This record gives sequence, structure tokens and C-alpha cells, in this order.
Amino acid sequence: MEQYDLMRSARFRKEREPEWRRLEALVSEAETRGLHNMDFKAARDLAAYYRQATTSLAIAREITLDKALLEYLEALTARAYLSVYAPQERIGSLIRRFFLTSAPQAMRRSWLFILLGFLCMGLGALTGFMLYFENPAWFHVFIPPELANGRGPASTTDYLQSVIYQQDPDSTGLGAFATFLFSHNTRIAIFVFGLGVFLCVPSVLLTFFNGLGLGALYALYVDRGLGIDIGGWLSVHGVTELSAICIACGGGLQLGSAILFPGDRTRIAALQLAGHDAVKLAVVASIMLLVAAFLEGFARQLLQDLSGRYILGWGVGLIWLAWFILGGRSRR
Amino acid sequence: MIFRRRKKKEPRALAGELMPPEGVPLKLRIAGIGVRIAAQITDVAITLVASGSILILFAALRFTDPQTLLAIGALLFFLIRIPYYVFSELVWNGQTLGKRLMKIKVVSHDGGSLTTHALVLRNLMKEAEIFLPATLLFTLNSATPVASGVAFGWIVIGLLVPLMNRHRRRLGDLMAGTHVIHLPVPVLLKDLANEMRVQTEKRKPYAFLSHQLDHYGAFELQTLEDLLRAQNSPPVAKRNRNQQATIAALVETIRKKIKYADTVPSKDNLLFLRAFYNAQRQHLEQRQLFGDRRKNKHHVMEDDIS
Repeated sequence: MEQYDLMRSARFRKEREPEWRRLEALVSEAETRGLHNMDFKAARDLAAYYRQATTSLAIAREITLDKALLEYLEALTARAYLSVYAPQERIGSLIRRFFLTSAPQAMRRSWLFILLGFLCMGLGALTGFMLYFENPAWFHVFIPPELANGRGPASTTDYLQSVIYQQDPDSTGLGAFATFLFSHNTRIAIFVFGLGVFLCVPSVLLTFFNGLGLGALYALYVDRGLGIDIGGWLSVHGVTELSAICIACGGGLQLGSAILFPGDRTRIAALQLAGHDAVKLAVVASIMLLVAAFLEGFARQLLQDLSGRYILGWGVGLIWLAWFILGGRSRR
Repeated sequence: MIFRRRKKKEPRALAGELMPPEGVPLKLRIAGIGVRIAAQITDVAITLVASGSILILFAALRFTDPQTLLAIGALLFFLIRIPYYVFSELVWNGQTLGKRLMKIKVVSHDGGSLTTHALVLRNLMKEAEIFLPATLLFTLNSATPVASGVAFGWIVIGLLVPLMNRHRRRLGDLMAGTHVIHLPVPVLLKDLANEMRVQTEKRKPYAFLSHQLDHYGAFELQTLEDLLRAQNSPPVAKRNRNQQATIAALVETIRKKIKYADTVPSKDNLLFLRAFYNAQRQHLEQRQLFGDRRKNKHHVMEDDIS
């Protein structure tokens, strides 16, 4: 009897209101406690009521002019949508998946770009090396003074050697230098990756310039007959750290090349696609930088023996390589 | 001319539409630059406090000499920051603590669920897009015009990108396929049509003829709805008198427009409006069911032209 007094849209609302209220309660439960912690029945109801609410919204848009109802349904459905389609994966399994499969697979897929990254660095080092022997003054061009830590063509061989073999690191502030060097290299890695978007050019230039400095420094020590010693000093962290920069460069190049050569896609779509692997490269590079920081901060100071340094540095390098090559292969 | 037209068509209300897999588009308000910067500042403060407290712990334990401490501090801030954004957005479904505070949220632009990849990407780009320019801001000086110019250009471009698109997406959002919205709050108000029934049980309600209801459209109806809802809130003495006058004027206007012959006694003003609201809504909803959507009172003129 009462039903006939109401207009159609009011009846529509009256029939469905309890379901909406229930959905509202479920959504707030999902938002505060998380879908994982809800019991089976509640989670199932959430999905079912959410679908009903979307239907209600679609109908309400057609039949009712009640603004309050429309706004409520709009907001309720949106909230329910957001909690139904929340990411469901746990952090632990996410991290495991990254290390075991997706990171090494991404590295293998983008081997060409990483190779290009190493090539930039290597060519830079070679050029720096050659130029130093042409004129030692190039050293100051390639290496900013704060990075040289007082080293240069003018400094004595004894001083150069003392930087490499440091018995008491804390007394001369070498620890601070190590952290500085690390944050410098981290910044370079971020630049090299992030700026790759601008058509690859900044990435290539920065990596090349980094290589120039490396080559000049190496040439300085070779000039003084300390080539093998600097090799050891650099190996400890450099194998990891410089590889990280090259990998970051590879990621940047991947982004840049997606913009340069999008193929059949639009540039934005190509960039998004390339981003999948490039981001993984960036994360790998940052993990490597972190390991390099520990090597630089502790191992290089503790390990003063030349061959030990070589073994540690290249050993760690081999472990990285093994991870990239062997990780994430499906067993058949 | 062209400008005026565009303005009319597309009110810059930043209304984003999201298409969930169910196929019913949802309107979600896009979060503006201001609220996002506020959330960002909150997050920076949180991470700064976290790294600062660890640093103080280091200093208290005399872990290293003070010279190194500054470098370690910068490093810690960096190490805490990146995982904080990624993991908090993963755990809280696109919200960091700052975003929770500001009630905004990251959503996937295509209406699917947020992927880990998207969250990692947009937060890594944040590093290149927000934090590096922010630190570069301190290095600007006139001694190195070229480097400063480049840095400044970068900062400006980074700030301009979100302003250039409708969804206020920054570069990281564009690459990750996400945008940021205001979280809607579902509040179900009472149905005005129901309230009317309770009130008019005692008396004979006002009745309207169908040609009297042809004057107004949905916009006028919903404005009337807002006005009637405002009547339910507790009255303030002074405001109340103003409202009385407004309502009397409104009743008079409506009465003239629809050519309602009888005068309405002033104590019945609200009753008249409620009755009119009900009748008008019923009429318009019925017209809408027959495919005649009336947006506003200009529908009559539009019909004449066509």
C-alpha cells in the first residue's frame, strides 16, 4: 500500500538501500583492516555488492534526479572499486619474485642497452687515458677538485700511494671521502637514468664524462708506476659501482630510444613499455650501488693487500654476473 | 568566439573519469597541485625525521666522526626515502602517510588495479623530477650562468608538466600510467521525496498540472533540492530571517513562472516548495525515462530551435 505513494526513483532507492549500507560497512572494513584480513564471506560479499552497486549507479544515472543519491552512489562505488582492485600481492613475495626472476630476466632482455652503457664508459676511459698522456693538464678538466681528493699531476708519488693504502682511515677523513664519492656516484647514476628520457644524449655524455675521469685517474697512476695498485684500489668497489652506473645508463638509453624509435606505437605508449625493463635496471643499479657503498666504506679500508683487493672486487663482480645470467631461468 | 565556446563546453572542474572493468564510468575528482605539494611536504618531513633520529642515534653511539656524519645523513635520507614511498603506496593501495592525511590517492589511469611496476616507476621518477631539482635550487648562482640556466630550466619544466595536462599528471605519472584523485566520501542524505510524505499526511498537498511542470529542468530541480536540504540544518536566528525572505521570494517567482493561480500563505511556503519539488522531480524523471532529458530551464528554447 505504502509503496504506491512513492515515486519510482524513491522506490528504487528504498529497495536497495540496505545493500548499499552493507557495502559501505564492508568497504570501510577493507580499508582499515585490509582485504587479506577479512574472512572469506565478507570478501566474497564485498565483490558481489560492489558489482550490484555499479549496476545501481548505472540505473540511477538514468532514472533519478536526486542529487544526493547520485553523489552517494558515485562515491560509494568509487570507494568500493578502489578497495576491490587494490594490489593483492604481499611485499615478501614481491621482493622474492624481483630477485629470483624478474630482475635477471630484465637484464638479459636489455643486454644490448647495457652493453652500450659499458661501451660509453669504456670509450670514455680509453679517451681519458690517451689524453692524459698527451697532456697531463687534462686531468684537472676531467676530475673536479673535490673528487680528486688532492690528487693530481703535481702531487707526489708517495701521496698518491698513501691514498691507496691507508692504514688509519679515520684520521685523514678518508671515510668522509668514501661517503662523498658514493653519494656523487649515486647522483650520477640517477642523472644517467632519469635524463635518458631526453633522447639518450645526456646519458651518453654523462657516462662518457665519468669514463674520462676514470681513464685520467688511472693514467696518472700508471704514469707513476702504480698502475697495478690503483687497479686493486678501484676493483674493490669500482667493479660494482661503475657497472651500476653503466646499467643505469642502459636503462636511460632504453627510455631514450623508446622516444626516438617508438615503432608502431605512440611515443608515450612506447615509453611506458620500455619503462617496464628500464625500471628494473634502475632498481638493480641502486642495489649494486648500495653494495658498493659497503665495499667502499669497510672492505677497502680493512683490506690493504693488493691481490686480496683484486679477488674481492672481481669476485663480487662474478657473483653479479652469475645472478644476471643464471637467475630466473625456467627449469625444463 | 572559439575561446568562449570551449569554456562553456568544458568547465575546468578537473573532473576525471575512470573506467573500471565493470564498464560503468566513475567520476573522481582530480587532486590539484596544491594538495599534492602539501602531501609531499608531509612525506618529506616524515622521512627527514626518520633519518634524523637514526643519525642522532649514530652520533650518540659515537659510531663515526662528525665529518662523516653529514655525508651519512644525506645517504640515510636517500636510503629511507625511496623504499618509504614505494612500500607505503604498495601497502596502503596508492597512499603514503602524507596522502592519507590529505585524503588523496594514486589510481591507475586505465581503471585497472595499481601494479607494483607503476608505483616503483612513479616514485623513482619522483627522484629525478622533484628531489634533484629541489637540491639543484640551492646550487643556482650567477657565477655559473650556463649550469644554473639548465638547472632552472629543468625545474620549470618539471613544474609545468602537471599544469599542461587535464589530469595533473607529472612525468612519473605519465610514464607509469597513473593519476592522483581526491578520495570521495560516501554520505547518504535522506530522500526529500520521503520526508514530504510524512509531513503531508495531515493536510491536502498542493497539486500541479503537467504543463506547469514543463518550465524547469534538472539543474533548477537540484538547486531547489540543495535549498530544501539546507532548511533541515539547525537554524541561526539572523540567518533564519534572511532565509524566510529568500524562500518567500522563491515561492513567488515559481508561482509566477508556472502560473500557479492560488496564493500561498507564508506559513505554507516550505510545504509548497516540497510539494513542487516532488511533483517536478516525478515529472522530469518520467520525461527522462522517455528519452527527454531536460538539463535546465533552457530546454524549451532548444526544442524550438531544432
